[in-house]
Amino acid sequence: MTVAAPAVLLAVAACVAFALRKRVAGVARLSLGAIGLAFIAVSVTPPDTTARLLDLDLRASDLGRLAGLVLLATIGMLVLDVFLDEPAYNFFPSALLAGAVALAVLVVSSPIVILALLLIGLLVPVGTFTYQVHRNRSVEAAIRHFSFVVLGGSLGLGSLCVAASLPKDQPAITVVLLVVLLFVAFAFLLAAIPFHTHAALLAGEAPASALALHFGVLVPVTFIAFAEILAASGLLPAIVQVNKVQDLLLGIGLTSALGGALLAAGANDLRRLVVYAVISNLGSALVGIATLSGPGIIGGIATAIVTGACATQQLLAAGTLERRAAGERPNVTHAPLAAGAFIAGGIAMIGAPPLVTFPGHFFVDLIAYALSGFAGSALVAAAILLLIAQLRAGVRLFAGSPEEWRIEPRPVAGALGAVILVVLLAGGIAPDPFLRPIAAFADEFLKALRPL
Amino acid sequence: MLYLGLIALVTLVANSVTRLRAVAVAFVAITFVASLIASAAATASQVAVTAVAGLASAGILFVAAGDGSYGEDPGWRLWLGTFTAAIVTPLAYASFRTIAGEPASLPLVQDGSGVVVEVAGTWLLSSGVAIMLTARSAVRVSLAALVMVTGVQLLARLAPEPRLAISLALAWLEVVVALGGAFLIVNERAVRDA
Repeated sequence: MTVAAPAVLLAVAACVAFALRKRVAGVARLSLGAIGLAFIAVSVTPPDTTARLLDLDLRASDLGRLAGLVLLATIGMLVLDVFLDEPAYNFFPSALLAGAVALAVLVVSSPIVILALLLIGLLVPVGTFTYQVHRNRSVEAAIRHFSFVVLGGSLGLGSLCVAASLPKDQPAITVVLLVVLLFVAFAFLLAAIPFHTHAALLAGEAPASALALHFGVLVPVTFIAFAEILAASGLLPAIVQVNKVQDLLLGIGLTSALGGALLAAGANDLRRLVVYAVISNLGSALVGIATLSGPGIIGGIATAIVTGACATQQLLAAGTLERRAAGERPNVTHAPLAAGAFIAGGIAMIGAPPLVTFPGHFFVDLIAYALSGFAGSALVAAAILLLIAQLRAGVRLFAGSPEEWRIEPRPVAGALGAVILVVLLAGGIAPDPFLRPIAAFADEFLKALRPL
Repeated sequence: MLYLGLIALVTLVANSVTRLRAVAVAFVAITFVASLIASAAATASQVAVTAVAGLASAGILFVAAGDGSYGEDPGWRLWLGTFTAAIVTPLAYASFRTIAGEPASLPLVQDGSGVVVEVAGTWLLSSGVAIMLTARSAVRVSLAALVMVTGVQLLARLAPEPRLAISLALAWLEVVVALGGAFLIVNERAVRDA
């Protein structure tokens, strides 16, 4: 039960938080306490601890532990930001439940259960996406998000159920159909281009903290779940034998990487820029998985995890800047520390050294070049476009007069951004503790790829 | 064979009604027929978990309606959804009929080979996709989501271990889908009434 304890703790805390949600200060403290306890429980659980709950096998893997700690820390920062800077009573139960689901996804071994839990997690923030419903299109955005998640999730679950029930040695066409359905399902869930319209609408209409919960926590979990499902579903050996399927994943990844970067370069507001940058980075990460190689898998998962942290840093900063700007165009004069955090997040998002975001991007770009010159060039082009997009946003933000800069009165987003930057920097200087658990998972993935 | 006719009929009814409360009642019928079909391939406890989740979801939609007048008229979308399911289901069955690895018979009532479970699951999944793609409001989006999840629950009966965990996870998913749909219906109505 020690394996399941952190997820159960957060789920119980979410129920309590929902019951007491109108007492914002108390629920915020309860949420922070529960997240802290879950963090400690995940830290002290030894790797490879196994358990059985009902008829389900649970396992605390190295990658699950690393991702769990990163995601819990991210949720903790989001809760702190909402508590201190942007009180919203419906956020805390959603954040706790999203954390519970994320931890459960990371320890469960059955692909169908992983995807079912993931869908629950992706649907929970619907309650936080809708706000000021008479003044914006947040309900429409939430409906579209709900539709895409259920559509993609049901297709994915259907394909996994059929794949699990098939006897071995199926015709190639059957395997291709199932894998294509699974890839399209995850393209919906990850908002990969061209299945991204719900993310575009959310970026414009949902609150920044809810967006950060989705793109900073749930989207990285979705990516990890995708890799885990591929490894556990038994479809990998068949995927290797049918090149077209691998090419499809590569195509989705490259389209998303380049398309996301292009859209980011043309984005007119900070939140859209961040969302498109996340889509672009996840496209690169998909390319890494599509290479079906050790460095590609390590790079892909590393990119997905740190992209979540960068997205959180940038979205919280963007939210603070927009609130302080009060309808005007956000500028450094409104919140200098938040602006600094946004720029730091932008540098991390493009994978610049010496931050820990660099190794993931480097591995994926390198292995993509080894696979094909076009794929490598496309990823480098995407990185350059993202750099341009972040520079453009930075120039717009810092277009004010230096004499008018004053530290904002409650610099929560700026302080949290500084903490994330320090962690990313420390991870870049000593990347081994970060990359080693991912490498252990990559080893398991490759064993599932070639079981003999 | 009889069950396939029943599931097609109740899906058509749920798809065609215009009031949300009628949709909720029709979804109870879908849950009932799906449970009957699933009982051939699952234990009583697994079927009970799924049936209770279906009833709870229907109840949530019924309450979310607020009154008997709220809903969405499907119009021509009803036929698009029905014909899409009618075309996709045989195609999917032809593609994945290798599940049993041998030719399956289609008896009138009993389903020993799992073929009725598979066809009914695919029917519900494809119907749900068609309803979802043509929906204009949260009412039909919620119906589509619940129909799709019910289809997945049927397909999951064919999967091996862990069957109870899968039943529980999918049952919770169905309830969360219903809660999310109800939340969106209530908020959308608030916007429209304003």
